[in-house]
Amino acid sequence: MTISCSGEELTLNKDRAIYWDRERMLIISDLHLGKSAHFRKHGIQVPATIGLTDLQRLTALLHEYHPEVLLITGDMFHHDLNSDIGMFAEWRRDFEQLRIFLVLGNHDALRDQDYEEMKIEVYKKEMICHPFRFIHDRPEITDTHYTISGHLHPGISVYGKARQQLKLPCFYFGKNMAIMPAFSIFTGLSIVKPEAGDRCFAIGPSKVTQVF
Amino acid sequence: MKLTPLRTSASYSKQPYEIETKELTINNTSKIDALMGIETSKGYRQVIKWLRQKKRKPFSFQQEAWQYYAEGYSGLVNAPTGFGKTFSLFLAVVIDELNTRAEQKTEKQKTSKQKTHSKKKRSSTGLRLLWITPLRSLAKDLARAMTEVCRELELDWLVSVRNGDTPQAEKLRQKKQMPEVLIITPESIHLLLAQKNTSGQFSQLQCIVTDEWHELIGSKRGVMTELAISRIRGIIHQKHPERLLRIWGISATIGNMEQAMDVLVPYPEVLRIIIKATEEKKIVIKSILPDHIDMLPWAGHLGHKLAHKLLPIIYKSKTTLVFTNTRGQAELWYQNLLNLDENLAGQIAIHHGSIDFELRNWIEDALHSGILKAVISTSSLDLGVDFKPVDTVVQIGSPKGVARFLQRAGRSGHSPHEISTIYFLPTHALELVEAAAIKEAAKTQDIESRDPIVMAFDTLVQYMVTIAVGDGFDEQQLYHEVKETFAYHELLPSEWSWLMQFITTGGDSLSAYHEFKKVSKVDGLWKVESRQMAMRHRLHIGTIVSDPMLKVKYLGGGFIGMVEESFISKMKAGSSFTLAGKVLDFVMVKDLTVLVRRSRAKRAITPSWMGGRISLSANLGTILRKKYNETLDKSHDDEELDIILPLFERQAKVSHVPKDDEFLIELIHTKDGHHLFAYPFEGRQVHEVMAALIAYRISRNTPITFSIAMNDYGFELLSEQQLPIEETEIRQLFSPEHLAEDIVISINATEMARRKFRDIACISGLIFQGFPGKYIANKHLQSSASLFFNVFSDFDRHNLLLRQAYDEAFYQQIEEPRLLAALQRIQQSKIIIVKTDRYTPLCFPIKVDSLRENMSSEELSQRIERMTAETEKKATKKFRNKNDHQL
Repeated sequence: MTISCSGEELTLNKDRAIYWDRERMLIISDLHLGKSAHFRKHGIQVPATIGLTDLQRLTALLHEYHPEVLLITGDMFHHDLNSDIGMFAEWRRDFEQLRIFLVLGNHDALRDQDYEEMKIEVYKKEMICHPFRFIHDRPEITDTHYTISGHLHPGISVYGKARQQLKLPCFYFGKNMAIMPAFSIFTGLSIVKPEAGDRCFAIGPSKVTQVF
Repeated sequence: MKLTPLRTSASYSKQPYEIETKELTINNTSKIDALMGIETSKGYRQVIKWLRQKKRKPFSFQQEAWQYYAEGYSGLVNAPTGFGKTFSLFLAVVIDELNTRAEQKTEKQKTSKQKTHSKKKRSSTGLRLLWITPLRSLAKDLARAMTEVCRELELDWLVSVRNGDTPQAEKLRQKKQMPEVLIITPESIHLLLAQKNTSGQFSQLQCIVTDEWHELIGSKRGVMTELAISRIRGIIHQKHPERLLRIWGISATIGNMEQAMDVLVPYPEVLRIIIKATEEKKIVIKSILPDHIDMLPWAGHLGHKLAHKLLPIIYKSKTTLVFTNTRGQAELWYQNLLNLDENLAGQIAIHHGSIDFELRNWIEDALHSGILKAVISTSSLDLGVDFKPVDTVVQIGSPKGVARFLQRAGRSGHSPHEISTIYFLPTHALELVEAAAIKEAAKTQDIESRDPIVMAFDTLVQYMVTIAVGDGFDEQQLYHEVKETFAYHELLPSEWSWLMQFITTGGDSLSAYHEFKKVSKVDGLWKVESRQMAMRHRLHIGTIVSDPMLKVKYLGGGFIGMVEESFISKMKAGSSFTLAGKVLDFVMVKDLTVLVRRSRAKRAITPSWMGGRISLSANLGTILRKKYNETLDKSHDDEELDIILPLFERQAKVSHVPKDDEFLIELIHTKDGHHLFAYPFEGRQVHEVMAALIAYRISRNTPITFSIAMNDYGFELLSEQQLPIEETEIRQLFSPEHLAEDIVISINATEMARRKFRDIACISGLIFQGFPGKYIANKHLQSSASLFFNVFSDFDRHNLLLRQAYDEAFYQQIEEPRLLAALQRIQQSKIIIVKTDRYTPLCFPIKVDSLRENMSSEELSQRIERMTAETEKKATKKFRNKNDHQL
């Protein structure tokens, strides 16, 4: 589904990504690579196939849009270096032409040289790309830039007749800022309550639907 | 000589019994034989002499227990509350010890007379008796009573308590030197087993007693008890194969006593016996009735409208225990009674599991001393040592089962042969019928069974890691121990090896779990090496899963209790809530503690603590259906049914009152949508599965979405579209044919298994929930059970924990035979279908229930679009906060 935001055309993909055609930029947030291995290291049984699945979904998106830039608005890596990240480094070699930008999130704790080795261009605080500000968590100040952030893992409750209710991951577009859904499937949801004027796009199994 | 019965209560009955001790044995010749052995022993004579000094005599079941214990038996003691169950076993161990000492003394005198310098100070002889109790509050009083016995019999035994409330210093002291008697909870034994070098501490153990076994048997805590016993037994057997460890249980009457013993003592080579007291408890049950049926609401669970009728009962009794079913309800009733009579301030108290330990202690002491007029409580006071001054018990709302009701009744008038009085206060109109049903069930002693839990893989995973955190285990030995327990006697070698892989390599051999670390082999034993992991595991030992809890504390100091984090997260600074009967102003959350100050506000919201909903038992369901008949026929002498008659007449006018050979279906069309109400009267649990089954069968051919609600009487299917069924098809919908397959699909289609997985993920250590007061913020390891459920469903279908979730939803939830019986009964019944456009008295309590399940055969994307379209039409709608009750 393609929407208009601050005069730009953005395509919302059901695989939890935004494609910005004018900049040929694929935007995702909260990839949490290495989360499952991090859990395993601490004695919690999480199948390794999860990290792989996330990368496969990312691959499919790259094949669909052929972007020049992959932008990750934070929490690309969950905690520290581990086997999942090794898997990513290998994957990186298959897409050498792709530029990867990362706006650091609260979980991104690798050393600068680790990012360098994986050819990831790091933005410590935010990345401005007119008319947008890309940042991990919502900023305290608002200015002329429209903010696109992540961090929250937003979800939306949809209510229907006869006391029916559904909870789905969503793209949230408010007045001054938008929140991206978490890309990794090994993440939970925190439910947002849209106010008048906001737009919310729920992610279903086959497509994205505007629900608010 | 005047003798009074032997009991644990601190003070004793004034009524004397004029029977000589010896007369007891004459009535029954077989008993003479049985009791011959022990009567001549030194220990027995010493105990009897001591009892005579105290003008007391043992009951015959106590003597029986002593005799069987002396002969090396294990087993179960079944006696009503107030008849000295504790002493039937504690004194058995004491007599045995006294006899052993007497023997040793004579032997010593024979062999060597020169060694007379043994006048050193008390040295521990090692742990002799492990006494497991389900509730912490029991331990203190038990220890007091046991210590007193030891002192008076000049037995130099130390009696200690170990549970979540025990201070660290005391635990360390115990580690250095074990007391002879340790009173402990199932969780604390596992914690003990999770320490290093504990195996040496059991070598002198003579007996493990599990108190209130009927409370434990139906839960995973019972499984923990079984496992702990198997381990301790294994440790002793390995070092001293010749030693005999006795395993005893104490239980109130339940429907499956024989099985209860099999579960506790599953060992074929052990001598076993059930000792049943012939003494009976007399119970008087009275209902608190409204003057007119209109005084009671059609639905609800508070019952405040009858509160003024409770006051006279409290006034005329010495001390009243008021039982509610939830903690929130207890808080509300406390406020309500104070509002009705301000003079009660200081004379009434509130007691539940979320109230601070110190405060609970104070209340329990105050109950003993009789300074309180009434205590509002939840199941936290269900069990335990008697409070002498309590002469009246009140039950607010349906207790859902006969056994629980009788147990609560027994908390009053507990001296033997005294009468227990219990009042039933209905919270909504239909509960009057339940009151009549309970009375009948109590009269006919129609008491429920408690089915033991089997094959709980989550508890086993936790246990295996617990042992690995402690001294480690040998795979073969532990397998044999576990396999011997009742809970896991069907465990397959393949399941065991899956479990071993799960804790050592993470997953099965097909899906590699890189970098997984937990249990590894060190010097031939499986152990947890990481200190951090061991610590985290110890914090999460247990099977009671609750929401993360935060401690509540005054700004100036002093703990009040605990509330759920989800409740506090909705509070703003300055808003007030009630806890432990106090109105408090919320200030802030700091260091995982909720800081509050006393409020001037008179009213405030009451936190709702999550808790399971209890389902009506099958026994009660049958009687309930019969009572519906009797109400209409007027063929009864229950005053409750007379009162409810007008409501039944109303139901008959707008719909129909089902007789026990009829099955009522109401098809109601309102602005909410199309409802189908069905009334099997089988209890919430059966209805939950039956509703899913019927919803599935309806949705098989047409894409449709249902919202499902249920209570103990019936269930509701609600859809925004017309139900695609003909009246003639309804009997077919409830057909028992293809039941097993249809149930599997309908469980898959709902959230039932997912909900079961919440506890499983917690118990097996996949997710970390808050632990009262010991909450550790492991943000980077946070996840949710639901997430794991998805992950395993997608990536690890053979995961045994996932299978357990389905099994729990399938076998425990539904009680398949019960569901089958219900469907067969429905097939035999006359099906009555009523179509109306208004809610009826019978459907109303179901309709207002907020706990709902969804089932859909619509394609998800289409469903999203349809629901979105509906929301747009409705514009902005206010959602009520379903769990906060405004006072």
